[in-house]
Amino acid sequence: MSTTISLGADESTGTWGRIRRTASRRTEGRGIVLLTFIIIMVALLEPLALTAYDVTLGRIALIGIVALGLTAVILMGELDLSVASTLAVAGVIMASIPDLALGIVAALVAGLVVGVINAFFVAVIGINSFIATLGTLFALRGLAFVLSNEAPVSLENKDAGIAFGQPLIGPLTPRILIFILVFIAIQLFVSRVKTGREFFAVGGNRQAARDAGIPVNKRIFTGFMISGFVAALAGVINTLERTTADPTAGSTVLLASFAAAIIGGNYLKGGRGSIVGTLIGAASLGILQVALTISGVQVPIQQIYIGVILLLAVTTDPTSLRAVRGSLRTFRQSRMKTPDS
Amino acid sequence: MAQQTAPSAAEATTQSESSRLAGTLTWMSQNGIFIFTAILILFALIFVDGFGSLMNITDVFHRAAPIGIVAVGMTFVVISGNYLDLSVVAQVATAGVILIAVSNNYGIFPAILAALAAAMLFALVNGTAVGIFKANAVIVTLATTFIGLGLLRFFSGGSIFFGPPDGPIRTFGLGKIGPIPYSAIVLIIMTIVLGLLLNRTNFGFLVRSFGVNESATRLGGTNTALVIIGAFLVTAVAAMIAGFVLAAFSNTAVSNDGVGYEFRALAAIIVGGTSVFGGRGSVYRTFLGVIFVSVLTNILVLSGISFGYQQVALGVLIVLAVSLDALARKVAQR
Repeated sequence: MSTTISLGADESTGTWGRIRRTASRRTEGRGIVLLTFIIIMVALLEPLALTAYDVTLGRIALIGIVALGLTAVILMGELDLSVASTLAVAGVIMASIPDLALGIVAALVAGLVVGVINAFFVAVIGINSFIATLGTLFALRGLAFVLSNEAPVSLENKDAGIAFGQPLIGPLTPRILIFILVFIAIQLFVSRVKTGREFFAVGGNRQAARDAGIPVNKRIFTGFMISGFVAALAGVINTLERTTADPTAGSTVLLASFAAAIIGGNYLKGGRGSIVGTLIGAASLGILQVALTISGVQVPIQQIYIGVILLLAVTTDPTSLRAVRGSLRTFRQSRMKTPDS
Repeated sequence: MAQQTAPSAAEATTQSESSRLAGTLTWMSQNGIFIFTAILILFALIFVDGFGSLMNITDVFHRAAPIGIVAVGMTFVVISGNYLDLSVVAQVATAGVILIAVSNNYGIFPAILAALAAAMLFALVNGTAVGIFKANAVIVTLATTFIGLGLLRFFSGGSIFFGPPDGPIRTFGLGKIGPIPYSAIVLIIMTIVLGLLLNRTNFGFLVRSFGVNESATRLGGTNTALVIIGAFLVTAVAAMIAGFVLAAFSNTAVSNDGVGYEFRALAAIIVGGTSVFGGRGSVYRTFLGVIFVSVLTNILVLSGISFGYQQVALGVLIVLAVSLDALARKVAQR
């Protein structure tokens, strides 16, 4: 991306020019500002959240893993609201199969299937992804209730679950390690692999991507399968850590993971954004949540903070700010015109 | 348009065939609701035990009323091309809790005023973010849902509020004319009023034209931000009334009263034939959609089918109804 657009526009050379060019190309600006702000505030008010970094890392991994999968879809200008229910369904499927390995495989396959179903309605039928995945969000939530008989299912193999919660390398639990692996995999995929780089083209201008010979529908399938798979993986991790699968799981994940992806600078209409941004977003929210929990703020109240951050993130998008400037200009012009007419 | 000026003979026949198919599909997605509702009610009367009983019909009306009132209001947001307003969940609960809690202490009129202020605040935040900042309506209303619910739980402490056993709220909640409860009459009045607002007023025309073509509406000299804020305001006021009706029915209110309302209302709107692509639809069809969804849910409940399957059914219903609309559009464009 970078090499192709560095013509003319900004010829100023030297270190300053290079920094400015990089800054104008990157989308993580707001995420970094928020992260810095939160770290400073937390360091001043609740430093325990930073010193107990293993807890904070676990929380970041919890929020971030779903957000990472979501980013793959958002880069194409689509949205996958069904991740919250996919997580619940995968957990229930895994817990209801006695054999642990088989259960994990079945849960992950279920995630892929959900991705295929979503992509079918979006790419083949042509429904807007907001509505299609809202429908599957609802249907899968119901399915989780049906499969679990409306009660939490406890995991057969409790020892595996307990072992899973223990630190593996240093203070890092398997959850954090899996999160790091998923981050590296998706980051390499969208920045180094041709298929992944084409996501940006599909999101930027779908018709142009099609004309350039990119199999747009195939890419949409890939994207939704990634987000379905990663959501199912999050469901598996949750179930292992808690040794039970809750059919209502994931309703709070929906808000936090969307907030992480959008604060990270991923443009909702597609084509711009980065996996690193999502990581920054997840880190800000994770630190914030842990700090709030330590200071004794209840979960519903924490949701207010995250909701406000999401609202701010989605309204301080560069295009949103342009739209506001546009409406202000129209408003002023219409004011100036009124006396004449 | 260019194709119509000089079509070859072969093209003309395929075109007329595909346009006939498109016509059928479009007709189905818009007017199928009349047939489906009639078939469903007939089916229920014949095969489902106890559906036709007076008590059950009253029950269907009782349950349909709050969802229906939300749905007819939310139709405005959907027609304006902004998908939906998820925050009705928070709005319904807020209105109910304010009605019961404030009227217990200060009387019913301050309660209504306070609830109206809350509804206007919701509409202002949603409408400003979507109309002026051009942010995505789904994400904005997802955020305001959690902000609203969080604030409500913070102020209410998550507790259940009980109304007095013989106040005006209780009288309204229990009152009915024949088998039709007052709440259903409120739904019918709301449908007529909002139907007139959408079809006969300048505001309604602007909402529809915004849904068809946003930039054309703006270039036509309309302040589109006000239109969007207006559409969210209609939804918020309707959700408030739904919250009142719901609270009056049970004479209690709690902060998770509105859970599931956004999906049920959306299902009713979409099944009714209002297009999620914006611009096309009507409040009266949404009313039929409400009847369809309520009767369907009632049949499932009477047949002893669990809550999980009901949710699956509604989710599938939403996706199928939108698919029909999308396919009709695809064939028509070809």
